[in-house]
Amino acid sequence: MKIKRILTVLIAAVLALGVMSTTALAVDPYTTYNYDAWYNALPSQAGYEVIQTVTYRDVGLERVRDPSSEFYISDTENVNFSDMKDFFISPKGEMYIVDTGNNRIVKLSMDFELLAVYKNFPGSTAKHTVVDDQGNEITVDADELKAPYGIFVDKDDVMYIADRDNQRIVKCVEETPTSARILQEYYKPETALYESQSFYCTKVLVDAAKNVYVICPAVNKGAIMFSDSGSFVGYYGANRVEVTAEVIRNKLWRKIASEEQIASLTKSTPVEYANFDIDDEGFIYTVTEVANASTDAVKRMNPAGYNILEKTADNNEFGDQVSVTYNGTTYATRLTDIAVSDDHFINILDYTSGRVFQYDERCNQLLIFGFDQEEQRGGFSNPNAIETWGDNIYVLDGRNNDITVFGMTEFGSYVHEAIKLHNQGLYEEAYEVWKEVLKRDGAFYMGLVGTTKALYNQDDYKGAMKYAKLAFYGDEYDRAFEANRQETLRNNFTLYVILIILLVILYFVVKILQKKGKIPQRLIATGVGKVVDAGKNAVMSVVEKIKKGGKGK
Amino acid sequence: MIYDMKPWAWVKHVVFHPTEGFEDMRWKKAGSMKIAIFIVFLLFCSQVFSTRYGGFAYNVRGYSDVFNIMPILVQSVAYYATWVVANWSLCTLFDGEGNMRRVAIYSAYALVPFIVGNFLSTGISYFITLDESIWYNAIFQVGLWWSVVLMVFGMKACHQYSFTTTIVTMIFTVVGMLIILILLALIMSLFQQVYVFFATIYTEILYRVRS
Repeated sequence: MKIKRILTVLIAAVLALGVMSTTALAVDPYTTYNYDAWYNALPSQAGYEVIQTVTYRDVGLERVRDPSSEFYISDTENVNFSDMKDFFISPKGEMYIVDTGNNRIVKLSMDFELLAVYKNFPGSTAKHTVVDDQGNEITVDADELKAPYGIFVDKDDVMYIADRDNQRIVKCVEETPTSARILQEYYKPETALYESQSFYCTKVLVDAAKNVYVICPAVNKGAIMFSDSGSFVGYYGANRVEVTAEVIRNKLWRKIASEEQIASLTKSTPVEYANFDIDDEGFIYTVTEVANASTDAVKRMNPAGYNILEKTADNNEFGDQVSVTYNGTTYATRLTDIAVSDDHFINILDYTSGRVFQYDERCNQLLIFGFDQEEQRGGFSNPNAIETWGDNIYVLDGRNNDITVFGMTEFGSYVHEAIKLHNQGLYEEAYEVWKEVLKRDGAFYMGLVGTTKALYNQDDYKGAMKYAKLAFYGDEYDRAFEANRQETLRNNFTLYVILIILLVILYFVVKILQKKGKIPQRLIATGVGKVVDAGKNAVMSVVEKIKKGGKGK
Repeated sequence: MIYDMKPWAWVKHVVFHPTEGFEDMRWKKAGSMKIAIFIVFLLFCSQVFSTRYGGFAYNVRGYSDVFNIMPILVQSVAYYATWVVANWSLCTLFDGEGNMRRVAIYSAYALVPFIVGNFLSTGISYFITLDESIWYNAIFQVGLWWSVVLMVFGMKACHQYSFTTTIVTMIFTVVGMLIILILLALIMSLFQQVYVFFATIYTEILYRVRS
């Protein structure tokens, strides 16, 4: 009877353990981390977790071969995705995937139902010739796309597609579920200002005034800008040259070298940016995909092309700052895409590590998630693009041919709520939320900073000093310290005055007594001498005792 | 003025009489090596204090870094030792009268204001804000330049030089310090390699003997 009871308890315990371990396995297969004030990586809570991984099967892309379906294209059409380079979530909430390898655009609803597969693009104004890499002239087959690389969709569902190998931007609207009518095409600008031979456009973006911005990797003067009518306007927001030792050396050489020598020097040219995004206020965000770029790695530009992050950002380091060499391969951050959510959180995708770095509008590091083990759920092989919709984050993988959906965890939603209040200056309201954040991750940097500011605003200067110390935030500590010092002085003013008066009186009393010869002239020296003598005697007597004891034995 | 003073009183006398103090001390053949060593120890302590402590806003880095004693040891004791050696080696060639013991003692005595300034400025940084950093800097700079002045007159008295010769020899002493430190670094790396060489031979022989 007793044994039976013990057995049942044991079995129950084992079962419970099993259940617990399975729940533990349900979390992401990697350790999430975050940076502290010194950019040391510390383990942290996961702010996002994988909800869903979407492949062509989930979408039902087999229907492109089914003649009875409205999405029928041909019997040989590839049913899988192939080397997807970009995707875009339109303002209406529809996902447009650039299926680069299959030269088509796939349109999905946010529940991943297939809405359209655009393969035909009739209505091209004129056939035109372009020059390819080898210098051959080829006539563009204008009714189809050829290696489309990027897409943008405006609020009227007008698509702008960067048709890379056809060297054009296509502006089109849906005609049938498998074709879209071209409204306008943007070709290589025929002007002396445009110096490049080709127009291999990879990314496209349209602002509220219908200006079209195009990124060509061969052009480093910024984005190529077209007006709505299709005419070339100019370049927009070029990066600056990153100042390295080589650039400085070349600059010095140019002053003294002859013209032939100057011609042989490498030119200091800025790096073109890899991708961009536009937010609802019309600011354009860009990322530069160069290993460990520090100048203009991430920019937020106003319509004049001026980077306003220079003035407003609290932090200008993005991605993993430290390159890691592991098994002979060096991993350095390459920021490949940027997506700005409706509440102005900046999400940056790192191609190397497959990680998503999330920042707030002032570029404070918030959350890091994702990893580069393609075999596992939530891991990436060729993460090419990132988009946001609501609280979810979508990452497109060009080699795995899937889309990974990240949903926010409780921790992530607390962080978001707190940082929103914090950036509005509502420090006291943010305080309670920061408490929840710090309960889950006690070293969360922005949490410590937010708590510091909140406590300072609540006149709890001692607490503010404590948290400023934890966050290693010297300036904020100084503010709290000054306020605390002033408060202490004000509260104990009488005490300090009395103390000072007492000291002055003591000084005069001692002076008078010294004059009268009641106490020795050199009071401190005599006092110290007496103490030293006493100590010496005491030590000596102890030594004597030990010696005697030793002899006694 | 009575110049029959106890050893510690000489320190006070020298510090507060920059121009004649060292001459007086040389005349009376005063100055204690024990006190000099103690002052260098205090120099080390003051460096530790200023790198590890102080008001948080003044020394954020110091509150987070792992404590490494070697740079501090080099910045205090090693600099002092190379200064003494370099100065003595140079000034013997330039008809300086000081022996190494005297150079060591005079240099150490001249460091006292710097040590005090270092302690005081770090201590005061606990009570002031960043806006009031002028106090911090002022105290530190006063201590530093007081020490420099003392050092000049100390070396002048020590070697019985003219003022210009003193300045020139001091500049060359700094150059000599650099050379000594570079040589030391070289020798250390060399010995490291020699040690590795012998260690390899030892293990090699050990393997053969055992097998």
